[in-house]
Amino acid sequence: MELICPAGTLAALRAAVDAGADSVYVGFRDETNARNFPGLNFSRDELREGLAYAHAHGRNVFVAINTYARAGSPEAWHRAIDDAATLGADAVILADLGMLDYAARRHPDLRLHLSVQASASNPEAIALYKEAFGIRRVVLPRVLTIPDIARLNAEIDVETEVFVFGGMCPMAEGRCSLSSYATGHSPNGQGVCSPASHVRYEQRGDDLVSRLGEFTINVFEDGEPAGYPTLCKGRFVANDRASYLFEEPTSLNAISLLPELKAAGVHALKIEGRQRGRAYISAVVRACRQAVDAFEAGKPVPAAALSEITEGQRDTAGAYKKTWR
Amino acid sequence: MDDAERQGRIFETMFARLALTAARPLPPALLQPALDLIVATLRRNHPHAFARLEELDDAEVLIDPVDLPLAFRLRLGPAGVRLRLCRRDGEAAGAVIRGEFPVLLDLLEGRTDGDALFFSRDLVIEGDTAVVVALRNAVDGEDIDLAADLAAALGPFARLLAPARQAATRLHDDLAELHGLLLSPATRRLEGVERRLARLEKKSH
Repeated sequence: MELICPAGTLAALRAAVDAGADSVYVGFRDETNARNFPGLNFSRDELREGLAYAHAHGRNVFVAINTYARAGSPEAWHRAIDDAATLGADAVILADLGMLDYAARRHPDLRLHLSVQASASNPEAIALYKEAFGIRRVVLPRVLTIPDIARLNAEIDVETEVFVFGGMCPMAEGRCSLSSYATGHSPNGQGVCSPASHVRYEQRGDDLVSRLGEFTINVFEDGEPAGYPTLCKGRFVANDRASYLFEEPTSLNAISLLPELKAAGVHALKIEGRQRGRAYISAVVRACRQAVDAFEAGKPVPAAALSEITEGQRDTAGAYKKTWR
Repeated sequence: MDDAERQGRIFETMFARLALTAARPLPPALLQPALDLIVATLRRNHPHAFARLEELDDAEVLIDPVDLPLAFRLRLGPAGVRLRLCRRDGEAAGAVIRGEFPVLLDLLEGRTDGDALFFSRDLVIEGDTAVVVALRNAVDGEDIDLAADLAAALGPFARLLAPARQAATRLHDDLAELHGLLLSPATRRLEGVERRLARLEKKSH
């Protein structure tokens, strides 16, 4: 199985390649990708350098251009697709129908992957993207169980890529408006969920208070592991009880499920976290590489001790082992 | 972290603590040339990171190593990057990054992940989060090795660093052992109290 790893900087790309990534996915330093964070991502020159490094090591680089183009001004997204193609990216990861159409017409040889942001989770949708734009791979939204993925793979003829490690989103990828509601900015439009410009942390005695725009997202007691300041991971008071109404601060870790994912027909395993430091990239990619290599050699999949670097310092198998209805 | 890296961190922390303790009574202007030299060395070796920091709007970040006697103010923006020594309870800055010195050094050198430090509460962030994120991403995108950068700037004096580092590690380990010996009676008493408490709790359930 192919291991797809994130990189927000050139140093992180090199770290991912050195730690055993088969492919690295990156974004340009603007709103055309869903990790448009301050100081993160690649200039055109940096992408050129990153491509040279990855290709010299026999690895691929995919460029995520996976936000939805602003109505009336799609130029930045067109330019991103053109530049990725010209610089020699091995694939672009798109979600917007218009951008898929643009890329398919202008760059017929460019490999197209359907982003998780398109939230395509049924055979009809995926077949439509294949027929209309020739997508070669779909990144599946994190809503499907392993039997769901197996049934889906039996009905489609494009590769499937699934998330195996990293941050979790509520189950409405590409359609989530929580960040937009709180700040006016969303991952789908501006490429940023809960933008840092709207986040404030305050020490209140021994407690850590995280705020997003007008909202208090969480109050962490002294020593309690913290999470991201996103509305979906907020702890809110309802019926006089504070609890996580949407989702708990925890990270996906499905490394132990490699055999089941392989049996379900999954082609590629994706690690989330372009916004994370290169120390995270190195540790997670190395652990996943060891797991994939062990599995492919017919050995038991080693447990990855990565909880220290995960959100909330806890992990979950998410929907892959769904126990709720 | 391997032994050489651990030795490095011990040495750097002891050196910084000694230097800042000695610096505390002095006028800050006296030390500014040393800080300017450090920044100039880093700028020379890491021009991309500095270009990113100088693209930012004007901002000041208080970098507060909680285990050292003084803190730093880092100015970012088009006027250039500048590092100054300051008291941690001085004038408010636009953003604050607070943590133990070895943790902050690990972060500067990309040996640890900032988000993970935040999750584990080893790193405290206050104020303008966007500036902190931009700063973190700029330094994480570079392969910074502060000791190597500064050793190169020291020229022939760099040869003194290796024996100094070994001596500092030995001193640190000896002090840690002495600390353990002095505290062990108290630790044993505390463990006894904890065991008694646990038994009492069990009985009360």
